[in-house]
Amino acid sequence: MMKVGVPRALSYYRYFPLWKTLLEGMGTEVVLSAQTGDSLLENGVRHCVDDICVPVKLFYGHVLDLADRCDVLFVSRLVSVEKAEVDTYTCPKLIGLPDMVKSSIEGIPRMVEFVVDLQEHSIRSSAKRLATALGVPQPRVRSSLAEAELVQAAYDQKLLAGVEPEEAMRQVLGNGNGNGRKDSSAQKPDARRARKPDIKIALVGHEYLIHDYYISHNLPAKLKRFGADVTYMTQVPAEVIESELARYPGISWSYEKELLGAASHFLGRSDIDGVIVVMGFACGPDSIISEIITREVVTEESPPLTTLVLDEHTGEAGVDTRVEAFVDLIRRSRNRS
Amino acid sequence: MKVSFPHMGNAYIPLSSLLSNLGAEVIVPPRPTRKTIDMGALHAPEFVCLPFKVNLGDNLRALQMGSDTLAMVSGMWACRFGYYGRVQHQILRDVGFEFDSILLGRDGLGTVYNKFRDTVEGSLLRGWAHAIRSFKHKAEAMDALEMAARKVRPFERERGSASSVLADGLDSVHEARTIKATDAALREALGIMDSIETEPPAREPLDIAVVGEIYAVLEPALNFDIERKLGEMGIIVHPVMSVYKWLFRPLKIDPSILVDERLARRIAKPYIAYVLGGEEHQTITGTIRAARHGYDGVIHLYPFTCMPENICRTILPRIESEFDIPVLNLCLDEHASPAGMATRLEAFVDLLRERRRR
Repeated sequence: MMKVGVPRALSYYRYFPLWKTLLEGMGTEVVLSAQTGDSLLENGVRHCVDDICVPVKLFYGHVLDLADRCDVLFVSRLVSVEKAEVDTYTCPKLIGLPDMVKSSIEGIPRMVEFVVDLQEHSIRSSAKRLATALGVPQPRVRSSLAEAELVQAAYDQKLLAGVEPEEAMRQVLGNGNGNGRKDSSAQKPDARRARKPDIKIALVGHEYLIHDYYISHNLPAKLKRFGADVTYMTQVPAEVIESELARYPGISWSYEKELLGAASHFLGRSDIDGVIVVMGFACGPDSIISEIITREVVTEESPPLTTLVLDEHTGEAGVDTRVEAFVDLIRRSRNRS
Repeated sequence: MKVSFPHMGNAYIPLSSLLSNLGAEVIVPPRPTRKTIDMGALHAPEFVCLPFKVNLGDNLRALQMGSDTLAMVSGMWACRFGYYGRVQHQILRDVGFEFDSILLGRDGLGTVYNKFRDTVEGSLLRGWAHAIRSFKHKAEAMDALEMAARKVRPFERERGSASSVLADGLDSVHEARTIKATDAALREALGIMDSIETEPPAREPLDIAVVGEIYAVLEPALNFDIERKLGEMGIIVHPVMSVYKWLFRPLKIDPSILVDERLARRIAKPYIAYVLGGEEHQTITGTIRAARHGYDGVIHLYPFTCMPENICRTILPRIESEFDIPVLNLCLDEHASPAGMATRLEAFVDLLRERRRR
């Protein structure tokens, strides 16, 4: 059976259930890269341009991890992820991802692209192109895509209910998800005893940062340990984001719109005690959006907001200090009022 | 209305002519310096791209000089440039300045058109027609002078003469009030340029193409005037972009620019399959063409964290080996120093000379 390797990075956190079901429906075996760990990140950084953002470096690491374990490498190209009347884009790096991988890593297996360009064509035609690239007969596409879309919808529901991506995938895909090699240096779940949650903190940022627990130093668990209840951006329904965005028009990056809409939603909610915007160093769209959030969205009444910038050099102690200080500040201001 | 806009090479010459012909008083901030960049970097987001910081510094200076309106192009693209105006103007308002914004592209053409209803004397339409005509003349004059200086520079007997004639010529073009005066100033400057004493070079001059992010290529404050520096080292410089092309590309009136754009996309397609919103096609195509024309090397300039150019930076090594042409990647940020730049340029040029000898 043909082995198709899928890197556990970037769009994985969004689309993997769809891809996995689709690829398996086409009669291939899906191989997932290992969890991020020291050696994987180091490998990625070594093969990547210096001043690119850390999620792309991670992607490189995951590609290299798969290089000798699969026959075909699956790389997504997200051009536009929503159908709208105005132009929408994702980050240029997500658009150019296959070009970068193809031109700069040697010795990788044949690459197939999955192009998501909803402004131009449907997911079905992307799936057909994928089938052609894999040499799979077309009639199989329709039935496997229908199933894949169901699985993806179930996954999206889980995310909406506040389940973390890896756990949600385990639930909708069964144990078949865990076929990636375990990297021995991967982050273990934090077993230290948590204090009883008394504050609620919302996390705003790309899933591929927050939920890559190696690069985020397991931020959600850390917050829980400090006694905070964590709400994810993925728990905000699309229509809420849409209605929030009516106040901040003129953004063309789809994923950044989600960040902005979610931040605006959380900052206006009275049960949220604090918002943390998580971004990757050298992330282009985030550098603009975080500025728009702090300058256009935050008001006098908003709960406290802080920004956490992550890169491959971020030490765990640094994240600890900042998060703890933020949590303390929230508690103190609450006790005072 | 006292209007101002950020610098981009010599673009201030046609742009101020456009706005002053529309009856606005134009305030041109001083050419960006280290101080401008520092002022901008102080208020800008930490890892936004460098042009943002320089533009913000320009705007700050203009406001300190008393301008009450800031103009900027704006749009919904994949590249961050489309958001510059929105975020910069918000930052400046937060700093405490009060001013009016003209965001060309975001406001819609009608709004921008009507903005000058009070300042233009007589018919608004005729005012715009005249302003655009003089804008075009000034842009052409600027482009002609830049090209003439580029040609003479490597061969001048006395180092720096072409650049000083260029600076004087641009000044007199800038000061010309009418189209006639613009043409006269251009003719005169070209005449002086022609009379610059030249000498045949001691050795065959190198040809180097300059590609990359448009602002990094065109703004001497950012790239330490690389074009002049290379020219005065006796090298023939071929920049892929020019201020003229940048100004006229979005207007879609010059067919040669449109054809060139389309061709560049086609040549770059095997390497970059989709539009990324920057100059990526010109960078890739420029490098391939440099190899085809038999140039000695390519210099790729880009600001730190620039998204489209970082993708090119990843792909260029492949083109370098496929087409056998050396590429020097230079990443620019507010910490870049002239000495560091000069060292790398000299090393690159030595390498190219050695390569040509063999």
